[in-house]
Amino acid sequence: MTAIFAVVKRLLASNKISFILTVLVVICATSSGDVVLSNGNYTWLLAGMTPFFFVFYDFSKLMHLGASKKDYYSGCLAGYGILALCISLVNTAVHQLIDPIYPAQTVINLMDVCGWTENGLIAAGLQQMFFLVLVMVSLQVLLSMQANWYGWLTDFVLVAIICIFTPIAPLRSVLSEFFQLVMLNSNAPLHVGICLLLSAALSIAGLAVLKRKTL
Amino acid sequence: MIDLRQVTKRYGQAAVLKNITISIDEPGIYCLLGRNGAGKTTLLKSIAGYQNITSGVIMVDGKQISTSTLDTGVSYIENFARHFNLPVGKLLKIASEVNPNYDYDFASEMMERFELDGKKKFNHLSLGMKTMVSTIICLASNKRVVLLDEPVLGFDAIMRVEFYNMLAESFQKHPRIIIVSTHIIEEIAKTIQKLIIIDRGSIRFFDTLQSVETKAFSISGLQKDVEAATQGLNVIGQDAVGGLVTSYIFDNPPGQTASLEIHQLPLQDFFIQIVGHKGGTTR
Repeated sequence: MTAIFAVVKRLLASNKISFILTVLVVICATSSGDVVLSNGNYTWLLAGMTPFFFVFYDFSKLMHLGASKKDYYSGCLAGYGILALCISLVNTAVHQLIDPIYPAQTVINLMDVCGWTENGLIAAGLQQMFFLVLVMVSLQVLLSMQANWYGWLTDFVLVAIICIFTPIAPLRSVLSEFFQLVMLNSNAPLHVGICLLLSAALSIAGLAVLKRKTL
Repeated sequence: MIDLRQVTKRYGQAAVLKNITISIDEPGIYCLLGRNGAGKTTLLKSIAGYQNITSGVIMVDGKQISTSTLDTGVSYIENFARHFNLPVGKLLKIASEVNPNYDYDFASEMMERFELDGKKKFNHLSLGMKTMVSTIICLASNKRVVLLDEPVLGFDAIMRVEFYNMLAESFQKHPRIIIVSTHIIEEIAKTIQKLIIIDRGSIRFFDTLQSVETKAFSISGLQKDVEAATQGLNVIGQDAVGGLVTSYIFDNPPGQTASLEIHQLPLQDFFIQIVGHKGGTTR
């Protein structure tokens, strides 16, 4: 447990660039007009950037320090959980405290767009947190695979799905329903359940990828 | 305990490790010798579970080792290992936190002995100092098997002596299997117990250093005298200059006669004869 905690600490500490970039964008991003984007949305950038550092920067270095693959992976998952909680808290705070005082008439926060705020603040925060965990775990798996042929195959399949499913109406509705389930879902228990289930499945896939990873 | 059974590793068509079977069951400092490209790093990385083998089985303390082993119990450090660009002191501290059995006192003591500036960042260190940091981390990990891949690369003579002392002290404190791959043969001879010679992916020699001292000899003289003296012995190489012949044996030496010169073979010469190459060609 101590080793996992140490790995989490190191993973978060070496993720400074992501933190700094996210903070800069959140603070500096401006938009004008009657309808503007909430600055809280940009906190999601952290979730998008973090897996890149965990996978490409930290893995080999932690291994050279003597960490085990098991501790590294547990540390990554715990790190994603902690970051998702923090991002969710910050975005929820921005939504509650800063968005209302914005001079624009309409401020768009992704929590509203996804329909999560319909369930109250705590449920919305939880939905956002579990969704971000799903995003980070997905990226971890996808990025870990990039050194192998099956990573490229997965990229190809994902691009093919988007390219084929988008222009064909019946397939487009399948794609749309998928996003309705995992993202634009106002049913909090269902949404959290799906995010947890998919995150667990992807974590198992990520473990399989890690087991094949060489140094 | 390390057990390799018919281990083969191929990169495409090229076999880097060829059907290696070897069992290392006693704690000790083992020296892995081999020419460049002999397969030393591939062998060590395979034992550490850093890469998969093509066929065969590697077991460490009864646990099968491959990339899918999530906790191998093996500590491996390669030269040019990259670390977080943090002050050395902090790096050693982090290593102690991610390693449950890490000997932080040993690491700190070594840091002082090698005059490593704890506040200096890893990327600002010289090559030798970087290697030293990696080696300290590896030795202090206290894992049952420690693999050091060319640890003296970039060390000056004084650092090398200190390193051999550190190796011996670390082993005395925590007896375990330590395998050191190196090219500087004679220097490490005082520290090691057993010698493993690998050549072109095959293990050519695995025995104690004492056996080299008692069985490796050069026998020089006229061809007929040398041939008569070495008949039935394990001749590992031969040189001929004019009418004089020198045979190299790994066996009990023949009795000393006036027509023969019998000398103990230095470790480096023994290695050269075992590997059996001259100028990159096989004899």
